[in-house]
Amino acid sequence: MKYKDYYASLGLERGASEEQIKKAYRRLARKYHPDVSKEAGAEEKFKEIAEAYQTLKDPEKRAAYDQLGSHAAGQEFQPPPNWREQFGETPFSAEDLDLSDLFAHLHAGGGQGRRGGRMSMPGHDYEIAVAITIEEAFHGTQIDLDLNMPEYDAEGRLRRVPHVFKARIPKGATDGQRLRLPGKGGKGLNGGRDGDLYLNISLRPHPLYRASGHDLYLDLPLAPWEAVLGTSVELPTPGGTVRLKVPPGTQAGRQLRLPNRGLPKPKEGQGDLYALVQIVVPSVVSEAERELYRKLSGDSAFDPRAHFTVETGHAN
Amino acid sequence: MRIDASEVLWFEQHELSLRELEELSGLPHRLIVELLECGAIAPLAAAGTEARFGAAALRTARTAGRLRADFELNVEALVLALGLLERVADLEAQLRELRARQPQPIR
Repeated sequence: MKYKDYYASLGLERGASEEQIKKAYRRLARKYHPDVSKEAGAEEKFKEIAEAYQTLKDPEKRAAYDQLGSHAAGQEFQPPPNWREQFGETPFSAEDLDLSDLFAHLHAGGGQGRRGGRMSMPGHDYEIAVAITIEEAFHGTQIDLDLNMPEYDAEGRLRRVPHVFKARIPKGATDGQRLRLPGKGGKGLNGGRDGDLYLNISLRPHPLYRASGHDLYLDLPLAPWEAVLGTSVELPTPGGTVRLKVPPGTQAGRQLRLPNRGLPKPKEGQGDLYALVQIVVPSVVSEAERELYRKLSGDSAFDPRAHFTVETGHAN
Repeated sequence: MRIDASEVLWFEQHELSLRELEELSGLPHRLIVELLECGAIAPLAAAGTEARFGAAALRTARTAGRLRADFELNVEALVLALGLLERVADLEAQLRELRARQPQPIR
């Protein structure tokens, strides 16, 4: 089993008072709680902080932890020989365990609450962040998950068991949605229900599409003459290329909506795809082109800033 | 090591009874009722005599469970925190939509 320095996790000395432990936890929880924090890695960090606090705030667990002695964080160690008897601990095989398992199961009611008791306990729920591409959201996908869960074996010994899942993400997922895999979390105890596995879906950034709910947005660059004369373009969509007619006189910023070309919705229906018109100009032009622009400039009566004059009360 | 091919997945539109909501969120009955009474958790539009709950309610209830356990919040503080988190989520959704609608600079 690898040692974890719970005091260091909370930024404390070993002799810290209960009050100091509580304050350190509050300060760190405010910063890293996954429901409140947007910091990268907040979830992992909070797990570490919460684990340390769960053990150190409870005088009995803290005493048990202190009895483990002081080791370097991450160092392999074994609890002292009489440790388990002293703290009324359930049998375990130390090689396969995480230190947190020891303390999570340590205190189901002191000595008399050993795991042989009748207390039924629901299994632990797990939440996992899963990032998928827009194409995967469109077609549905399958992901592999690898989870280590603490479990009791046939002899009632606690140990970590690796679980490998293949989970299907049906089409229809989008940013912020959750999937639940019932009963795929931790095992329930003494008839308690098995925990669930929750997948929190997020969409990876895509070079072409941006998603909002089930709608997709795509920039559609047009040359000035295409915007003026109208054109027909091949537009990539997650479901395949579609031909889009751009009407003459299309302004930059206009949204051309393609119904039902966005992401599919879970039950039925599909989001829309919006092509956002941008008018782009070539950065390099030949002398012949330049001549055409000059001619256009001379011939055209178009004043793109006519409203300046109106809005400023004929100042010029 | 075990391989589990999980074919059935629950999606956002799955409906839950009050009992299932309690079970899945791990919140005590009394607290769920209090959260319901003040509107922090809302049932789906009345479809019959028994209240049904959607994924949003489950999400809120699970968040409530985490906040209660991790911050030792009382009901009042919990309701306040849930309300603020809901606003944050709304604003983030709006921001996401605005960003999606915002053309990217030409490369």
